Amino acid sequence: MEATATPRTQEEVKAGTAKVTVGEVTLRKFELSDVDAMMAWASDPEVAAFCRWEPYESTKPLLAFLRDTVLPHPWFRAICVSGAVVGAVSVSPTSERCRRELGYVLARAHWGKGVATAVVRRALRDVFADLEPEGLRRVEALVDVGNLASQRLAEKAGFRREGVLRRHYWHKGRARDMVMYSFLSDDPLPE
Amino acid sequence: MEVQQGGAPAPAAELVVSLREFTLSDADAEAFMSWASDPRVVRFQRRDAYEHVDQARRYIADHVLPHPWYRAICAGAGAPLPVVGSISVKPGPAEDGRLFRASVGYRVAHAHWGRGVATRAVRAAAEAVFAAWPWLLRLEAVADVENPASQRVLEKAGFVREGVLRKYILLKGRPRDMVMFSIVVDADTDRRRQQNKPDGP
Repeated sequence: MEATATPRTQEEVKAGTAKVTVGEVTLRKFELSDVDAMMAWASDPEVAAFCRWEPYESTKPLLAFLRDTVLPHPWFRAICVSGAVVGAVSVSPTSERCRRELGYVLARAHWGKGVATAVVRRALRDVFADLEPEGLRRVEALVDVGNLASQRLAEKAGFRREGVLRRHYWHKGRARDMVMYSFLSDDPLPE
Repeated sequence: MEVQQGGAPAPAAELVVSLREFTLSDADAEAFMSWASDPRVVRFQRRDAYEHVDQARRYIADHVLPHPWYRAICAGAGAPLPVVGSISVKPGPAEDGRLFRASVGYRVAHAHWGRGVATRAVRAAAEAVFAAWPWLLRLEAVADVENPASQRVLEKAGFVREGVLRKYILLKGRPRDMVMFSIVVDADTDRRRQQNKPDGP
């Protein structure tokens, strides 16, 4: 996708009819040198609100996370917009070989531009290409019942809403109700 | 633990169902074979049917006895009541090292299907683990979409149906659609939110 700056009004964005174009969105593997770019979202309390982690206050623990969790992870990608790292998307193993769980995080500066939707669609395409030979048939996303933005994103990306799993997910001291979404290897990718 | 139906003396036709721990006895291993070797019962289980009682003996020793919560389902007539199935509750998975959920699974010998044995056993197991584990907030169970009998057992036992999870679990190598059920402790009232129960403990 070529980068195009398109002015758009608040009303157009809200109505969902705006043709949203973003800078070129790519996915690549993380490197240790990405830690400073990661701090942009990892330190942001608004980003951390629906994530499992507390905002990072220094790069040292973030570097440890990068080294110990991200680099050895079976499928963890940096989200790049016009070459700059602005977020992360991962598809993590579960107790079943046929299903993995999608997670993503995006710096606040890039919310509301269609970046996350493009990322999720790209990630689904890539992860099934990579892992269907290993038995992957289902990518699921668990979204807090209060996280309407992520629910809309899952629906736009073509996930099927399956139901609410009550008190299914431990999040910051409480067991939360989560909406379960799934995308199967033979579901049609919306475009 | 022992759970009996009703408080008054049971009429002759009343079904008595109780749960107890397994032992290493030959009798328990043989009883185990009555469902573990039956293709009709193992059809919706991950394991293939057992062919020899030694497999049951080994499974009881290596898996059942060390398990956090595994019980023999006893039902019918006579003393002691015959073992007709098994039921197990597996804590977890934990998150951030925190235990708050568990999942229940059960199997009943084919000869004892259709009489409410599984329903009573599941109800008794749910009562027992919620009492024994104060950390438990969610007890869940899955049933294959092609297993309506098991779905009915869970509904009658007070579980709430949450939805169909597509290609959720591998059964004998094939991904299956599963119906998810649960009983949860209400976040606000600390009371159990399950269906067909009056408001109360």
